[in-house]
Amino acid sequence: MLPAPPAGRDLRLDFFRGLSLWFIFLDHVPSNIVAWFTIRNYGFSDASEVFVFISGYTAAFVYGRVMNERGFIIGAARILKRAWQIYVAFVFLLVFYFAEIAYVSSHFANPLYTEEFGIFDFFQKPDVVLVEALMLRFLPANVDVLPLYIALMTFFPPVLWLMLRQPDFTLLLSIGFYFVAKAFDWNLALYPYDHSWFFNPFAWQLLFVIGAWCGLGGARRVSPILNSPPVIALCALYLVFAAPLQLSWLFPSLSGRLPSWLLILPLDKTGLSGWRLFHFLALAALVIHYVPFDAKFLRSNWARPLILCGEHSLEIFCLGVFLSFSAHFILTEVSSLIAMQIAVSLAGIGLMVTVAALMTWYKNIERRGGKPPPSATQEGFGGVTAS
Amino acid sequence: MKMLSATLMLVLLAAGPARAAADSCDVPDNLVETLARLPRVGLSVKRDHKLEILVLSAAPKLSGEANSLKSYPYYLENELRERLKGTDVHVFAQSEPRKTILEVAKDLPRLLSERQPVLVIWQTGTVEAMRGIDPDGYGRALDSGVAALQNGGADVVLVNQQYSPRTDFMFDGGPYTENMRWVSQTRDIPLFNRYEVMKYWGETGAFDLTALKNDGTYEKVHTCIGRLIADLVMRAASLSGTVER
Repeated sequence: MLPAPPAGRDLRLDFFRGLSLWFIFLDHVPSNIVAWFTIRNYGFSDASEVFVFISGYTAAFVYGRVMNERGFIIGAARILKRAWQIYVAFVFLLVFYFAEIAYVSSHFANPLYTEEFGIFDFFQKPDVVLVEALMLRFLPANVDVLPLYIALMTFFPPVLWLMLRQPDFTLLLSIGFYFVAKAFDWNLALYPYDHSWFFNPFAWQLLFVIGAWCGLGGARRVSPILNSPPVIALCALYLVFAAPLQLSWLFPSLSGRLPSWLLILPLDKTGLSGWRLFHFLALAALVIHYVPFDAKFLRSNWARPLILCGEHSLEIFCLGVFLSFSAHFILTEVSSLIAMQIAVSLAGIGLMVTVAALMTWYKNIERRGGKPPPSATQEGFGGVTAS
Repeated sequence: MKMLSATLMLVLLAAGPARAAADSCDVPDNLVETLARLPRVGLSVKRDHKLEILVLSAAPKLSGEANSLKSYPYYLENELRERLKGTDVHVFAQSEPRKTILEVAKDLPRLLSERQPVLVIWQTGTVEAMRGIDPDGYGRALDSGVAALQNGGADVVLVNQQYSPRTDFMFDGGPYTENMRWVSQTRDIPLFNRYEVMKYWGETGAFDLTALKNDGTYEKVHTCIGRLIADLVMRAASLSGTVER
């Protein structure tokens, strides 16, 4: 039914990035019951970690090859072009966001929400807000992983240059930077109040660099250690330790009965706390251990929707944010009943898969340059042969 | 896709009529249960037959003597007076609109000495979530604020942001509620999860929380919140006299 993935690609990356995109969409629909399925409820880390790590991995893998073959300038130019695309996507989403806010603010007069009217304060000075937003100094909720991505990509060329030569040293630098930023409380400031980026780029760069380091062969080098039984057991233990803790957090009646030394929650997401980072790394180690590169299910039909979404991560991420705005709109305008939450969640995921499939189909057509397909048996979009 | 659109149609049909449900304050027990106790409240009621309550918030409409308001401090006062016959119940609402916790915390000593509350109901988190201030720093400020209130001789009940479906996508109160939960556990005080309670009402159709204009929901919601907080205070302070409903 859906276009087949290209051969030779590590489908695990696309699969899990697709999964994280679904989760990010579900988590972003406010008060959505389907978000109960997402990993944030069962451990310290969530889909954001998956997304940032895999983005670092693929960026290093793809642009590292370009930089090796065609030099630093071409590689850097490609990376900055990507950063620019993400910036344009961010501005695109911003317009929808402002449109929805403008609509609500001009019609909203229910005395029940007098306190929440404060959210529209920034609209008093649209000139300032728009400029600040374009300068990434005004970041609406739910879109804030994109600015992080822009910041990370913008500073990636020198990082990648160094990493191609001294991968371990680069990783050490990144770890050092993480701790220095933590010690000095570094973060980027935001308009109009004295607050800062929700995803602190000085902290989250570490996960991106770890991803890049793995993408450039680090993963292969540490795999004997990662696959050793004691490490696997340790990772599993940590996940088993985290799951009930996170779950109990959602049921106050349970968490009230926990001993006080277990009160390590809530964890700092802005600064990527060590608990979260190690939770994600443990999860990743287990996944790599139990899902081999050539796992059969990755080429099965039910994995294909996820892989398609993962292949077009930027576009599908933006679509997901846009769909979460729309889902929210439907939930407030039509009905917020639980059945409706399930329906908009399913419809959103359906649309994400459809759009991803269309993009793959279109890309394949473009590649062939309008010539007739080389083989009539090749699978295409919609179950018919591609033409 | 066919399956999907069929499901969607079914859901749309099912969703329609449930809107006009009865207005009842009922919520599942797990939404309002608490293991924490309010010992000072219990003592004050039993020994001194007095209960001085301060409602602290940043909500513009929650300011002044409770009996001059038509919001939950007023209904809370009424409910408690009804249940605690022979006790002098007095509720005062102090609001500091648009101020974050750092500014509110500075006022705590003054409020304590002026009002001498035995119970402070502290509604917080909305302004902080709207401004996106650091949730970690918020947790620390809240923790020291609660400690100051406790050292000043008051029990504390925390109340988180309300559920506002229209603005829900513009800011995320989750991290702030998590920090309130953390403070409520380390300081052993109740947390009234107003967000989840109201979300339950919205999802079950008990109240229509999406109206853009004033449709009378304000008073109904505040009546229920006043009643549920009164229930919580009675339970956590181990007071008898709960009115059965």
